[in-house]
Amino acid sequence: MSVIPLDAADEVATEPVPPARRRRGLPGLLRRPGGIFGAAWLTFVIVASLTAPLWRPFEPGQQDTANRLALPSAEHWLGTDPLGRDLLSRIFTAGSLPLLSSALMLVVAFGIGLPLALIAAERGRRVERVISRVTEVFLALPATILLLALIGVIGNRLYPVMAVLGVLISAAVYRVLLGVAQSVRQRLYVDAARVNGLGSLRVNLVHVLPSMATVVAVQAAQLFGIGLLIVAGLAFLGFGPGEPEPSWGFMIQDASGYIYTSPWLMVPTGLVLALTVVAANELADALAGRAAGARGTRRRRRPLRRAVAAAAVPDGTPADPAAVLEVRDLTVSVDDGPDLVTGVSFSLRQGQVLGLVGESGCGKTMTARSLLGLLPDGVSVTGGSIRWQGRELAGLPETELNRIRGREIAMISQEPMVALDPMFSIATQLVGPIRRFREVGRSQAKRIAAELLRNVGIVDAERVLKSYPHQLSGGMAQRVCIALALTGEPQLLVADEPTTALDVTVQAEILSLLRALVRDTGLSVVIVSHDLGVVADICDDVAVMYAGQAVESGTAEAVLDAPAHPYTMALLGANPHVPEGEPVPERLASIAGTVPPPGSWPTGCRFATRCRFAQEKCTVPFPALPAHGAGSVLCIRVDELSREHATWTPERAGDEIQPGAEVLAPADETAPTAGVSS
Amino acid sequence: MLAYVAKRLALAVGTVLAAVVIVFLLVHASDTTPGAVRAGAGATAERVAAENEALGWNRPLWVQFTDYLGQLVQGDLGTSLVDGRDIAADLADRLPVTASIALFATLLSGLVGVFLGVTAAVRGGRLGRLITTGSGVALSLPAFWVGILFVYLLSLQLGWFPATGYTEFSSDPLGWLSSIAIPVITLAVGGAAIIARTAAAGMREALTQEHIRTLRAMGTPRWRIRYVHALRYASVPVVSTLGIQFIALFGGSVIIENLFALPGLGQASQVAASSSDFPALVGVVVVATVVVVVTNLLLDLVVAALDPKVRTS
Ligand code: SF4
Repeated sequence: MSVIPLDAADEVATEPVPPARRRRGLPGLLRRPGGIFGAAWLTFVIVASLTAPLWRPFEPGQQDTANRLALPSAEHWLGTDPLGRDLLSRIFTAGSLPLLSSALMLVVAFGIGLPLALIAAERGRRVERVISRVTEVFLALPATILLLALIGVIGNRLYPVMAVLGVLISAAVYRVLLGVAQSVRQRLYVDAARVNGLGSLRVNLVHVLPSMATVVAVQAAQLFGIGLLIVAGLAFLGFGPGEPEPSWGFMIQDASGYIYTSPWLMVPTGLVLALTVVAANELADALAGRAAGARGTRRRRRPLRRAVAAAAVPDGTPADPAAVLEVRDLTVSVDDGPDLVTGVSFSLRQGQVLGLVGESGCGKTMTARSLLGLLPDGVSVTGGSIRWQGRELAGLPETELNRIRGREIAMISQEPMVALDPMFSIATQLVGPIRRFREVGRSQAKRIAAELLRNVGIVDAERVLKSYPHQLSGGMAQRVCIALALTGEPQLLVADEPTTALDVTVQAEILSLLRALVRDTGLSVVIVSHDLGVVADICDDVAVMYAGQAVESGTAEAVLDAPAHPYTMALLGANPHVPEGEPVPERLASIAGTVPPPGSWPTGCRFATRCRFAQEKCTVPFPALPAHGAGSVLCIRVDELSREHATWTPERAGDEIQPGAEVLAPADETAPTAGVSS
Repeated sequence: MLAYVAKRLALAVGTVLAAVVIVFLLVHASDTTPGAVRAGAGATAERVAAENEALGWNRPLWVQFTDYLGQLVQGDLGTSLVDGRDIAADLADRLPVTASIALFATLLSGLVGVFLGVTAAVRGGRLGRLITTGSGVALSLPAFWVGILFVYLLSLQLGWFPATGYTEFSSDPLGWLSSIAIPVITLAVGGAAIIARTAAAGMREALTQEHIRTLRAMGTPRWRIRYVHALRYASVPVVSTLGIQFIALFGGSVIIENLFALPGLGQASQVAASSSDFPALVGVVVVATVVVVVTNLLLDLVVAALDPKVRTS
């Protein structure tokens, strides 16, 4: 039991409580059944134990010789012990010692650990190193046995023993709190203005300590439970208050002698002790804010088949017979929540590249992921159809989809550095799918892997095969990801912001690699990007997305040269056309305002709040109009605007920083170097 | 890597030294003297003084300390004040008892805990909640109470194993196994609960990693994603926790050995503590610290071997 605090420390340290949650405090705590139980039982035990002399039905030493080892009765609610003493009275009389000495242990542990953590976080590297080394030694000491040694020397004195345990445990407390204190300080340095001119003590009292409150509370609750177990354990070994004084540990030890004749005897004491420790841990869990196991387990899907069946019926518009991929009226929604994508349609011919463009949070990634059925938990396709080579993918069961993934449709993601499994070598990660897809032996698969790597422009394929993902640069990792995607010789590649996380020069290399693949292998590509430079560079067709809709689509040439939708104009104004082959330039300007989040889309035109040409009629719903040949545009004023030769000039530098323009992208589409708006 | 190993070794030696210093100072700060312990209760002051003189208790502290360190390096832990037995030999007999119980309990916790934790993480739902709640309760239960419950159930009611006592492995291997069965199961209850929590958290974290999505996008079979890739990712925290568990169970053996009358280190430390047998106390602390330190070292090596980032640097 000596090291349980360490483990507890890990749990807390790896799951820092987000600051937002901290504010909820007590109400949040009481919303969890475990938290209610923990708080209630602890309060009950503490009050009942401390006030035991006032209410107990019998004196703890009072013997009822006629009623030895009695079962519960009206007189003795919990029964009696071998000497006929009342268990209820004894249990709660015994309670105050473990409760108080555990509290003492906590006071000592935090009294040492907390200031040390604050000092180490404040004074910097050298001081922190010294303190940390010393605490590491403390953590490695066998606490239980050391406690016994202490008892052997100073005798059977519980309070000093628990105080010493507090000293030992302070090392674990320090370790957890140091991490928290350091991160709080880091945050403070970011907005140093708030801290300037305040003394060190004030900074700690006003800024650092309050932010640590939750972690301290969680730790304290856990350690309190451990303290109770240790006190009881010591008493069990005979190192507690001696007879006739009652103690939980000794009462259980006593009961173990009567297990043959009176098994009941061990139940009440054991239960009170166990429940009290459980209560402390439940309280800690509730404080830490993690509902035990309740995360992401509820899955209620909307009936999908109906929607799909409805959409699968051709709605009059003849599908492009040459298209390999045909998406019609695609709707993606959060289960029991708002729609993320509505009515998106596009099609793609073999060997063509389609770009989905728009700012972060427009539903591009969701649209792309729905092509492989890889939507996050709790998000699903709720309407429309995705026809891939004549087959309907929407609503296809997981097993069927799995047969298509990698073999027919593959995907590369926006963060190559985390897209590969860090625990396995590149060779292992390539050989597995190659063997599965191409049904070849290990050595043959290895040869194919090296060849694939060379095909994606990796010269020293052998060395890369032996490497692990953390040993690769971002561009190299993305090449490996592309090679991985090609292992199943797919006909369609879905590339989600494949260059966003990369350096500018590497971006151009990866794009030309993709272009070469399309040219040489006839691969079709759906590429998601917020960067019109990428679209101009590589795409044949483009669908501009805004707030979950495709607002303009058509050939890339037509859309970029003669944008019909004000949003496309604005994007182009913010990000001018880039001639092919040139590196993508620095982003120039942004569009004022932000994309409205799902669930708060206005009726009528969703761009109306930011559109320079918005009028009254834009706020009522209207259909998409054909444009750019086979494409479409979703703007009620499109004809007027084209007659007027309306343009959207880039905003002046002064307009760039609009209040509210720096809203972060939603979690589904984090674009680290987002260029268009954020 | 070499510097890293050197640093870990230095820390290990420092820890053992710290333990020796702490107990040594403790013993010398005590108000009883070893002479009094050896002479027994009711001995005359002269007798106690003579014993102390014979034990070298009156020499300067640092002389005694360097003396003790010198003996320690040669593996000599002195003799008991109570019965004069050789402490090193005694502890050498006891170490395997405690170590085997802690080891088996750790292995059992690992098996059961990983199974439960992984099930909770991949199945989720009501079963997952049940496992999480159950392990939360199980890790809070006092081991001695659980032990008595198991004696009642497995020994008295079902008669599968003996309630207490220890059988030497050399005399009866099967009897040995059944004599440590209940202690091992008892220790494994809390251990498995902690491992289950770690494994569940590790698996849940693993399954949300970006590289798992890559695997899904490649049509990788689900069992492979879960039990090869995600489990491999979760193995680092699980193995670390297993090592910590071994140390914790080793410490927890004090109570378990008392409950089941097992002749291990824990029992020795309890006896030494209640009789103020100072050399035995120091000896037990030294041996326990060495075990902890060696476990930590091994653990570091295993974790380093598991994690390519550490292995390849
Ligand atoms: S419909 Fe109106 S608000 Fe929307 S883009 Fe066209 S002009 Fe702007």
